[in-house]
Amino acid sequence: MFHSKKPTTMNSSHVDNRPMCLQGDSALVLTTDPKPRLRWTVELHERFVDAVAQLGGPDKATPKTIMRVMGVKGLTLYHLKSHLQKFRLGKQPHKDFNNDPSFKDASALDLQRNGSSSSGMIRSMNEDVVCGFFSRSGHVSEALRMQMEVQRHLQVRIEAQGKYMQTILEKACQKLSTENNHGIVDMSTISPVNFPSFQDLHIYGGEQIDMQQHIDTSTSLDGFNGEFSLGKKRPNPYCGTSNKNPLSWTDDIRLQDELDIDSGDVYESKQIMSADSFGERGFGGTSKTERPSPRNGVLALNPMLKGGALPQGRNSPYGCLHLLPD
Amino acid sequence: MAVAMESILDLDFSGCSTTTTTEDDGAQAWNDWAPVIDWDAFTGDNDDFRGLIESMMMVDSEPMSEDTVSYQAPQTNNTMIIGDEETNGDDCKGLRLVHLLMAAAEALTGTNKSRDLARVILVRLKELVSPTDGSNMDRLAAYFTDALLGLLEGAGVHSKHHHISVLNSAIDAHQTDVLAAFQLLQDMSPYVKFGHFTANQAILEAVAHDRRVHIVDYDIMEGIQWASLIQALASRKDGPSAAHLRITAITRGGNLRKSIGTIQETGRRLVAFAATVGQPFSFHQCRLDSDETFRPSVIKLVRGEALVVNCMLHFPHSYYRSPDSVVSFLRGTKTLNPRLVTLVEEEVGPIGEGGFVGRFMDSLHHYSAVYDSLEAGFPLQNRARALVEKVFLGPRIAGSVARIYRARGEEEDGFSCWRELMGRVGFSPVGISFFNHCQAKLLLGLFNDGYRVEELSKNRLVLGWKARHLLSASLWASTTSSDLIN
Repeated sequence: MFHSKKPTTMNSSHVDNRPMCLQGDSALVLTTDPKPRLRWTVELHERFVDAVAQLGGPDKATPKTIMRVMGVKGLTLYHLKSHLQKFRLGKQPHKDFNNDPSFKDASALDLQRNGSSSSGMIRSMNEDVVCGFFSRSGHVSEALRMQMEVQRHLQVRIEAQGKYMQTILEKACQKLSTENNHGIVDMSTISPVNFPSFQDLHIYGGEQIDMQQHIDTSTSLDGFNGEFSLGKKRPNPYCGTSNKNPLSWTDDIRLQDELDIDSGDVYESKQIMSADSFGERGFGGTSKTERPSPRNGVLALNPMLKGGALPQGRNSPYGCLHLLPD
Repeated sequence: MAVAMESILDLDFSGCSTTTTTEDDGAQAWNDWAPVIDWDAFTGDNDDFRGLIESMMMVDSEPMSEDTVSYQAPQTNNTMIIGDEETNGDDCKGLRLVHLLMAAAEALTGTNKSRDLARVILVRLKELVSPTDGSNMDRLAAYFTDALLGLLEGAGVHSKHHHISVLNSAIDAHQTDVLAAFQLLQDMSPYVKFGHFTANQAILEAVAHDRRVHIVDYDIMEGIQWASLIQALASRKDGPSAAHLRITAITRGGNLRKSIGTIQETGRRLVAFAATVGQPFSFHQCRLDSDETFRPSVIKLVRGEALVVNCMLHFPHSYYRSPDSVVSFLRGTKTLNPRLVTLVEEEVGPIGEGGFVGRFMDSLHHYSAVYDSLEAGFPLQNRARALVEKVFLGPRIAGSVARIYRARGEEEDGFSCWRELMGRVGFSPVGISFFNHCQAKLLLGLFNDGYRVEELSKNRLVLGWKARHLLSASLWASTTSSDLIN
């Protein structure tokens, strides 16, 4: 409650930050942050793409001409400039954009928004550690391999801890059932069943609505137990059966590919990540960037996300404590 | 009572400041300021605080208790109206609570001490908040109020022991509650795992080529830290296979039979766990002296064993240990020449800024960050959080407030964190590996976005919630010529 993003008021800010349609007819959606950002809705982006095509492609189109062609009230040159810049980057993956300031903006934005997706873990790696490591090692593929390694170890460690915790709790259960418990909490109130549904969880950043819709469609309860046991609040795309989440976890996939083809030039890989996240962010649910999308590959190589949560979840202590007489 | 009343007017609220400087524009300033409490403002130089407190004491329309009415009369005309109670009532209330707590802390220890005033403020606070109800700030303020009341009532000779026993009896009370809360804490936040995994990874790296490893653990609790280490040792591929692991748990001195029993159970459990993964393992325990000090001679050393000292201090869920005991342990282990010391401690603000009130406010800030982080983990699970707060955080708050209260006046010689002591004792820093940093990042990725990990110095990883640092893990070695550095 002392922080600008304080949970106590998250409930209200949740509402406050909801994007607001400024004009009934137009597709222009601004957040109501102190610094309003334009949301590139699917519709708006399509109009943008149409305009760009009409003007002879991203290289020929200029913010000014696009603005004229699109004719959306409230859309400024500033908005278009940065969107066009990203669009060009997305279209031309081999352009060196490392010195491009807009890339930095984009990645900062990504961090802010993507943190709440279930691949936040991977992303935070991309953004910080891997890049940091790159400066030391010179090869991002090495960093990625290392990341997989760390991830594998972490997974095992979490499982070991969960298993151990389980033995403690089982013991406590036994003790209780013999002692006819006193002073025990009403475990039913804190059993996983009552943990918040995803719709109620706070998603940070500006993509709340999109994310929520996305979550609504992809929420599946079989992923939930696992989520809970890791203390994680997000739907796990690899646990759920539904693959429809349009925002998708492209970074992971790209990383995977990168690892597979093993062409360890950091500029290239960073670029790919950025292009992806751009597609993800700007294009909303209908990302047009092609994805190689070997989801199986990800499953196979992503033990942490795939199964990590489940064993612990299945052995959830509440399962056992829950059965106790009240 | 008349005396106390006077003291309200004369109070010198050193160490406090506020953006509200005059009564006239007070209401406006409240509104502007309310949404985010500016913690820096509390540590700056003092300002005239009177109007603020008066208004806080009177802002609710409900009738005052007899005691407070008498204060009210002379100052009615100065009362500030706090506007928009409806719209940002929560923030306003939170801010008011902070100010009340600060005023109480000030009254308890400031230059114009007035225990009566402190009592009045605390009684008022008790009416305003409950530890199980309301916003984060309400519940937090309730625990801090209790902590201050504890000081007020038990500030006599026996306060030290009084607090220790109160804390531990609270924890001992309902073992099941503790377990449930512990599990919840693990699920809701990365605190526990961050400390354990960071320490364990450092240990694994330090003993990568050893056949025999001996870990001396200051506060083993349920032993959950070692499950993952045992697993990792058992499955390690490089380095000698089937390295033998020995853990010596330090148990509390005195006649706390219960804690000894708990540790024996922990030992049995660890032995059983090690057996399931095929890790050669043995478990020992040795006791602190009756005054909780540590004698290095109780540790049995075996030649050829890599010695590691593990010190998990002040986790939200750990038993309260007296600072003297920790000092004796850290100093004592230096003489054992350990290969590695892993130290995990709470991050607190620098000592000596603003005296008791300053450190009290720092503590309030710290725990408000903890509360917020837990709420972000499970926003709707009030009861789950209330349990964690009751079982772990409440006692920790009481302990922390009591500690800084007792530390008044010792500040010239004191140290704000244990790692300072490590340097003084002669330990030298050991670098955190990239793997370790990576692991912490990945771990935090499993939790809310507000958590951050920073490598603040080459031997220290810090876990933070938003802008606030909460826990720090640091690595040390007893030899200066250690090849472990870098």
